[in-house]
Amino acid sequence: MEKDKKIVIGNRIISREELFREKEKSRRDRSRMPFEKKIKALAELQKIARGWGGKKDVIVWM
Amino acid sequence: MKNTLALINELKEKKLIADYAIGGAIGVLRWVEPFFTRDLDIFIIPSKETKKGVIDLSSIYDYLKKKGCVWKGQWLIIGGVPVDFIPVDALEKEAVEDAEAAEFEGVGTKVITPEYLAAILLRAGRNKDLRKVEMLLAQASIDGKKLDRILEKYGLAGKFAGFRRKHDGKG
Repeated sequence: MEKDKKIVIGNRIISREELFREKEKSRRDRSRMPFEKKIKALAELQKIARGWGGKKDVIVWM
Repeated sequence: MKNTLALINELKEKKLIADYAIGGAIGVLRWVEPFFTRDLDIFIIPSKETKKGVIDLSSIYDYLKKKGCVWKGQWLIIGGVPVDFIPVDALEKEAVEDAEAAEFEGVGTKVITPEYLAAILLRAGRNKDLRKVEMLLAQASIDGKKLDRILEKYGLAGKFAGFRRKHDGKG
């Protein structure tokens, strides 16, 4: 069954459910990052959107 | 961003505005993981209403232009950041008054709390707003009683129940 499939990441073996639970936990951890770090991450996302994403009108925050 | 907030703080010091708080996507970003956005929404309580029902923001823009800020499309670029000033309505005024003090690289500011952000975004109701409500509910620490009180007061409780039903089968 799809539900029982295991995912191998290096020496870890986890289920899809565990993978998604971990992703959710990571999101909650990132939500507690300091505001300054989040704005730096945002500036990186803006750079990606401008360069790779072709959104030339995006202003990258300093 | 630091210079942006310092200049916005000057507006309050010079009494060009009575108060302000960060809202919109950056307000949400304060409480959830980083995500892409273009601009900074600043909710302002104007220092005065010039005529009945007229909010004149000219003095704010004049002050900022003198400080070297320039227009680019719909935004005023303040310290390299595109900023939208949004004069508050009743719900947003309460949100600004309730906003939480925060610091950015030593500069003080205020950020609207997740409960008020959720209510404001729910009311706006566009898909991109509702995605942010989902993020707040999943990642931020929401005071359920506070959120319910706000939703009830501003007639949004039914809309919220519909949103919960549609998005996660609750409500």
